[in-house]
Amino acid sequence: MKIRLKQRSVLPGFGLSLGFTVLYLSLIVLIPLSATFLKASSLTWPRFWHVVTAPRAIASYELSFGASGIAAAINLVFGLIVAWVLVRYTFPGKRIFDSLVDLPFALPTAVAGIALTAIYSSNGWIGHYLQPFGIKAAYSRLGVVIALTFTGLPFVVRTVQPVLEDLDKEMEEAAASLGADRWQTITRVLLPAIMPAALTGFTMAFARAVGEYGSVVFISGNMPMRTEITPLLIITKLEQYDYAGATAIAVVMLVVSFVMLLAINLLQAWSGGRMRSTAGGNDLALSEA
Amino acid sequence: MSIKALNISKRFGQFAALDNVDLEIPSGELVALLGPSGSGKTTLLRVIAGLEFADSGSVQFDGRDISDRTARERRVGFVFQHYALFRHMTVFENIAFGLRVRPRESRPSKKQIAAKVHELLKLIQLDTLAQRYPSQLSGGQRQRVALARALAVEPSVLLLDEPFGALDAKVRLELRRWLRQLHDEIHITSVFVTHDQEEALEVADRVVVMNQGRIEQIGSPEEVYNFPATPFVYNFLGNVNLFHGRLEGDQTYIQERETGHVVYVRPHLLDIDRAPNGGSHFRARIKHINAAGPLVKVEAVAEWGDPVHIEMSQEKFRDLQLIKDESVFVIPKDVKVFANQDA
Amino acid sequence: MATTLALRNFWAAPDKAARATTESGWVRWSLIGVAVLFLGVFLFLPLAVVFASAFAKGISVYFAALREPDALAAIRLTLIAAGVAVPMNLVFGIAAAWAIGKFDFFGKSFLVTLIDLPFSVSPVVSGLIYVLIFGLQGLLGPWLAAHDIKIIFAVPGIVLATVFVTFPFVARELIPLVQAQGNEEEEAALTLGASGWQTFFRVTLPNIKWGLLYGVILCNARAMGEFGAVSVVSGHIRGLTNTMPLHIEILYNEYQFAPAFAVASLLALLALVTLFVKSGVEWKARQHSEQQEQEILTAPRIATRMAIVNSGVKAA
Repeated sequence: MKIRLKQRSVLPGFGLSLGFTVLYLSLIVLIPLSATFLKASSLTWPRFWHVVTAPRAIASYELSFGASGIAAAINLVFGLIVAWVLVRYTFPGKRIFDSLVDLPFALPTAVAGIALTAIYSSNGWIGHYLQPFGIKAAYSRLGVVIALTFTGLPFVVRTVQPVLEDLDKEMEEAAASLGADRWQTITRVLLPAIMPAALTGFTMAFARAVGEYGSVVFISGNMPMRTEITPLLIITKLEQYDYAGATAIAVVMLVVSFVMLLAINLLQAWSGGRMRSTAGGNDLALSEA
Repeated sequence: MSIKALNISKRFGQFAALDNVDLEIPSGELVALLGPSGSGKTTLLRVIAGLEFADSGSVQFDGRDISDRTARERRVGFVFQHYALFRHMTVFENIAFGLRVRPRESRPSKKQIAAKVHELLKLIQLDTLAQRYPSQLSGGQRQRVALARALAVEPSVLLLDEPFGALDAKVRLELRRWLRQLHDEIHITSVFVTHDQEEALEVADRVVVMNQGRIEQIGSPEEVYNFPATPFVYNFLGNVNLFHGRLEGDQTYIQERETGHVVYVRPHLLDIDRAPNGGSHFRARIKHINAAGPLVKVEAVAEWGDPVHIEMSQEKFRDLQLIKDESVFVIPKDVKVFANQDA
Repeated sequence: MATTLALRNFWAAPDKAARATTESGWVRWSLIGVAVLFLGVFLFLPLAVVFASAFAKGISVYFAALREPDALAAIRLTLIAAGVAVPMNLVFGIAAAWAIGKFDFFGKSFLVTLIDLPFSVSPVVSGLIYVLIFGLQGLLGPWLAAHDIKIIFAVPGIVLATVFVTFPFVARELIPLVQAQGNEEEEAALTLGASGWQTFFRVTLPNIKWGLLYGVILCNARAMGEFGAVSVVSGHIRGLTNTMPLHIEILYNEYQFAPAFAVASLLALLALVTLFVKSGVEWKARQHSEQQEQEILTAPRIATRMAIVNSGVKAA
């Protein structure tokens, strides 16, 4: 049996389109990426380890990952509620809210950054209510969580919405006819069905938050060891011409990115497979003999 | 344009879609590729069209080897199962497409294209719907547009992939007859794929029965129905009763188990009577009678336990006055025995 | 039954039949309240504060901020970066969609993963990798310096970084779309004698035009708003290598809040236009798909807003 890399194609243009795609990706992504790893390898292993485990670096990881996790969790809970409300209920202005969910995608991060800082600083619209309670929203770790919640807001909502929309009402009716009350139906029938999508959204929100820069640098205050996120640490090292150090930290972030990417793809395959099996769709790909 | 497919084999991964298939279609014939899903009929059609490339074997048009030519170069008219109409173009633009994409030298003028399109629209009786979009048409109308579109470029071969598969029964019947009439007028070499044996037997000049990537039998509709070459063909075309049996000389013995021979009898070739009348017979008890329809269908259980399906005319049924649970004699009028087959 | 539903206003409690599959009134309204409050605080407030702060010192200050030479230069640079990145990524997106959507080949999923990369890489890292190649200490640094070519800390670097962070948008929009549409129309075009290019322009392109527009809008929004990556490669030279987001940062750090928000308001306006066009395209796509006879199952492979476009194509 001959092993083919590709069946001979009927549609033309494969060579041209694939060639261009690979060329573009090589120039824009692969070559620059390899330069990064090359540069990082110029550091000896002990030195690399020393840089990436320095106290300041560790503090920044704690903040970046910790705050991202909290923000993603907030978005998981509230994202589910928002998705549910948008799909299942009607209320005045729903369309506007629905469109606005994508704002964090469309709004430049710097604009979001200064806007959030303005709201939560001690004389800001919300900040000045919090101040009497001693809650410092801006220039604190709380501020970082708030900013990361903003950036990750659309992810869970947008991954869960289509799944909710496609859920068969008949499943719920079947559960009800079998005696389940509303709460049981929701927790035993609906939630498990949307969990894969919700987890996918959570992971995406987390991945985005870990690398987020623009929305966070204004509200965080950027105090080393306290409110300094990892991307900022990289920039600080760059400004001090410590290219090797900056690259080392960047490699850590890249590895995390790859792992996140893998997790997201796996989660999507899992939830995609789930969808396909329940909906019983047609696969038009293979021609029927 | 005659078509020859020689030694065609094609695998999709582990699955053998076509296994050394040989087929010859003379010019002007209307041929049906008939078989169940997975038989390879659509794959064979697409190999002829150039929409798939065979792993081995060759395709010839009028004796010329065109195996390496692309679909575009083969100039076949192909009608897809789901029509594949260009959804953003009107009916007119769909039909005109093949003429408009011709290279500048051989492209007809706008006027000529319009004339040709309107001629075809009249042929398919949709001249009032020229400006509609496919989404505004019914299934039967879309299929006719797909056919007109394929005919517009005056192909030498017309290939249709389950053309009526997605349509209602009544529309299917109408279009079936219409295709036959069209072929009688135009005499273009046509091959169509179907899993509906009634359709194949009614429309085609010749039927090619396929199963599991191989051709079981090729012949006229009468030939394959009345003289099936293999048990598969017998079973696939029309209803059939299966019994274990054995052939000795010109005597057929039914009922003995595990002989490895199978006896096939068509339901309308079994008579029911209350007396044996001397000829070969067996007893059976009537379990169910369905008298709604042109034929009466009787389900019985033979004395050895096998189910038996019998069909008879309404007149015969009225004469017999059969009732449920009655014990009767069943007289086979014609049987076929296939040796060394599993039931 | 349909008319009864239409007439019922949303204040009424669901009738008995629906009670089995709907929540009680107070649950519904508390959920709606929570959702609205959450969205209001996190989405409406930031938008509002941008415009409020921009005009806080009056209209003349607003326009003065926009007419300031450095601001104008920043606007110009932003437009240049987007003007180069978007068309380039458009061509890439189309090529990738054709190769990946229409053919099966070894290494396809690796390619798709590669295209997803900028979405999971921090913008700062995205900028850094270009510094490591083109910067003075980078791989090509000495060679560039010898030929007096400036990429980092100059406009080309900014354009490059912008291209990197925005190249997936059009591709990720088009690939599932092309895949879901199948090859049948293209095969039909081929049998009718069309060449590859004719097939693409006359058959494929019209079918993907809304997805294309969508992808371009998103690509543009991100290109104009990119901050982290551009910040790393730019060098922050006022009037020369500052895009609008960088200019905003400078103004803000100098406590020039009203001018900072004034420039920010332009980008916020762009964001609103983006959202508006996005809704329009989704509405169009939903219309389109309701007319489709074929029901195509699209896997809920969604990383971003393209989910809504594809969700218009209902599962079988």
